[in-house]
Amino acid sequence: MFTSSVIYKDPKAALAWLEGAFGFEITMAIDGPPDAPEMCHYEMSCAGRGRIMVGAEWAEWVRVPAAVGGGNTQTVHVQLPGGLDEHCERARGAGAVIEAEPADQFYGDRTYRAIDPEGHHWTFSARVRDVTRAEAEAALGQPIMATHWQ
Amino acid sequence: MTDGSRVLVALRVPVPAARAFTAFTDQIGQWWQPNGLFQFTDGRSGTLAFEPGVGGRLVETYADGSSFVVGEIRVWEPPRRLVLSWRHASFAADQETELHVRFDEVDDPGGTVPRTRVTVEHFGWDGIPPAHAARHGFPLATFQLRFAEWWRTLLRRLADASREP
Repeated sequence: MFTSSVIYKDPKAALAWLEGAFGFEITMAIDGPPDAPEMCHYEMSCAGRGRIMVGAEWAEWVRVPAAVGGGNTQTVHVQLPGGLDEHCERARGAGAVIEAEPADQFYGDRTYRAIDPEGHHWTFSARVRDVTRAEAEAALGQPIMATHWQ
Repeated sequence: MTDGSRVLVALRVPVPAARAFTAFTDQIGQWWQPNGLFQFTDGRSGTLAFEPGVGGRLVETYADGSSFVVGEIRVWEPPRRLVLSWRHASFAADQETELHVRFDEVDDPGGTVPRTRVTVEHFGWDGIPPAHAARHGFPLATFQLRFAEWWRTLLRRLADASREP
């Protein structure tokens, strides 16, 4: 199991924003002590599924995108059960910057990308049709190696 | 008490809020699992039971028939909310923590995911010094993480217990 940890200058504000914009739920919250609030630990699920951690800049090498010129060295991809366009509108309404509008992809998903207030890029995706590997290879024009795609 | 340090753990359970509340309170003896690090009385663990209603108590009863009062119920609002005080036998008279539990039914358009979000918030461990027996010398962040992991295990057991009548 992989778990991403996403860093924020203000993790408590981020939790509220992620709940409102993306519909995530807090599953664990341990506030840091008053003299070291960066030593906090938060976890969220997406409607009861999956897990991300949310943390603060607790060490020199842990930085938010804004502190490194907006670059993201990793992004989180969230697979939704459906309702991608509604999800996008909810995020937009909460202040997310939609950098890629919902669009169907050749591999059968519909996706959009959003940027949160601290500069993290998120991809949301939902399966809209089943695509065989042969179809995807034809659309892409090159072979695809995949262990779980017939 | 809620301005003290907070440990929050939440989990969805596959039943309506009223059932989750009943499982949490009536059936605590079933899903509660003692943990060596967090014993109420040193070296012993027994069976927990709630006395329902405000002013009722949470009591641990041991094999020899003796018992320990963990806390007193401060808010009893089935099926939504429960608040109780929470102390270990080693706490001084002026030391206590407080447990808040919420039962929120969640939207479930697909119908395939569980229906009630049970949220446990445990306040006030910062008022118990690290050197205290109940803290085992752990720094607050470490202690609270261990404590949260324990509550997560307990809530998974609650989810299992809630499925049975």
